[in-house]
Amino acid sequence: MSGLRVALPGGTLFEATCSLLHAAGIARLDPARFDRELSIRDGDDVYVKVRPTDVPVYVEMGGCECGVVGKDVLWETSRECYELADLGFGQCRLVLAAPRDSALARGVWPQSLRVATKYPASARRFFAARSLNPVVIQLHGSVELAPLTGLADCVLDITATGRTLAANDLVEIVEAGASTARFIANHAALKTRNESVAALAVALRRAAAERRTAGAA
Amino acid sequence: MTGLDALPPGASVRRRADGFADHLVGPAARRRMLTDRFIETFEAWGYGFMVTPLIEPLDTIAAGVGGEQQSALFRFMDSDGALLALVGERTVSVARVVATQLHAGPFPLRLCYAGSVLRNQAPNAGRRRESLQAGCELVGAGGLAADAECIALAAASLERGGMEHIQVDVSHADFIPGLLESAGLDPLARDDVLAALARRDLVAVEAALEGTEAADAERRLLLAFPTLRGGREILDTAAGGLRGERPHRALEQLAQLWDLLEAHSITDRVHLDLGAVRDWDYYTGPTFEVFSVDSGFALGSGGRYDTLLSRFGVALPATGFVLHVDRCHDSLVRRAGALAAPAVLQVSWESDAHAEALELARDLRSRGLACACDVAAGGDGDVRVSATGVHWLHLGHEEHGTVDAAVASFAARLP
Repeated sequence: MSGLRVALPGGTLFEATCSLLHAAGIARLDPARFDRELSIRDGDDVYVKVRPTDVPVYVEMGGCECGVVGKDVLWETSRECYELADLGFGQCRLVLAAPRDSALARGVWPQSLRVATKYPASARRFFAARSLNPVVIQLHGSVELAPLTGLADCVLDITATGRTLAANDLVEIVEAGASTARFIANHAALKTRNESVAALAVALRRAAAERRTAGAA
Repeated sequence: MTGLDALPPGASVRRRADGFADHLVGPAARRRMLTDRFIETFEAWGYGFMVTPLIEPLDTIAAGVGGEQQSALFRFMDSDGALLALVGERTVSVARVVATQLHAGPFPLRLCYAGSVLRNQAPNAGRRRESLQAGCELVGAGGLAADAECIALAAASLERGGMEHIQVDVSHADFIPGLLESAGLDPLARDDVLAALARRDLVAVEAALEGTEAADAERRLLLAFPTLRGGREILDTAAGGLRGERPHRALEQLAQLWDLLEAHSITDRVHLDLGAVRDWDYYTGPTFEVFSVDSGFALGSGGRYDTLLSRFGVALPATGFVLHVDRCHDSLVRRAGALAAPAVLQVSWESDAHAEALELARDLRSRGLACACDVAAGGDGDVRVSATGVHWLHLGHEEHGTVDAAVASFAARLP
């Protein structure tokens, strides 16, 4: 039986993903090699580097049997994949943030609210769960500018350190969710290639746990 | 003009709606052949072919399928303002027919169908919004022999359609809910775990179980979820330490079902998969999915749904399945390439031999050979008819003879 095709997320999770695959004894991938090659074979398996938002697309449609992607991407996608393991790294949070001097920052929710975000699907569910119906304005970058320019009252955005928010005088109002990297798999592959996929999940989970223990020590 | 700023005049009439497909001659022929093979197999097992409408009242569909499926329907308004929908699956239609026109029996009733189903999914997702499904329903049979029959028939049909290396994953809709009940979880925690399983989010399952008083045996099983699969032996592994009667009953039924599948001689293609995620509100007993390594999606799926008919006023047990013709076609194409258009013999004629050419074409067709007769004289087809006789190519040699000799030569090449 041929090997697995694994989708790796480009961007901030990429190097940590390669390093975890190495630590788990699955594959030794040189991240720099992906600058020259789109896909790299390691043993029987093939690794492809794609945009993080494309990882669930490849996996759902069967282009890859499995992949690694941030939970924040999974919140935003309508793709159906199995989420098999929390890999622990790539921690970030989706938060609602507003200017320091706003009513919202004092704990007063205005009757009408305009929210700028790069994550409209997450925003829809976050507000629906709280029975709020704000105007959601989708942007594709630098959402923290929206309150500064009067485009929106607040932002729903991903933050890892909180530095960007602070630099723009925004304070966190509430956390919508905490995200880490996840190992995901295609529905049919989980059934027809169960042993390979499950073995990968187990190895990655173990390596992630060891890393967490080492980090805590 | 690039069309990016504005469509050129007349271009809008040439658009095809997103998510819909044209099936050209070769692929369409193979798709139809697949459907025919499936239906032939259904009929060979005693299932009567029937046809239901493409449109049902929304209320009818809502009696059968859950909210998520309903919201993915193409809906529109009838002349009296009532809501109608294009069907997203056809089991509910068959249930309606049984409840209204076939409720007198005799039971068990074996019915099959094939037709389009439509889902109003987001365009550009690469998903089909119209697809072809062929399915069977076995109504009025409550025993596991009926479930085994459906599983064996689904596998036989797919193999008859040319699918290779298929794998049937058999599960039980009551195992996971029963496990959660016997794990001593409170209803809220139980709902959390079920919802996480339905989302296929095993990280959330683990989180939902954390801090609950779930007993060890159940927790161990729930966390081992994606690997709870194998042959009959996994039933004993799973049963060890389980307290509740409900999960034990599900495992017992699967053991009996396994024996029945053995009698059908298909256990070499069957896995028991206790962790399968299915619609637990709809299914009430054994469920199954059929996979092939060529496809990232299930080729077919089915199961027992004993509560559906009662929603139409007739309390009858039922089990059935559906095969996804387009996914099967994709799988064949991936393995063997697209099918070329079927061969058609071209019959040409000189102006004094049109009637003879038409006669030859009639003869060829009556022998089962596809042929098209030129509509003008002087063509250079596979067979050329003139007043002096017929010319045709046979194994690279030019042959000449009578109409009968030509027909006999072509008929001899039929498989």
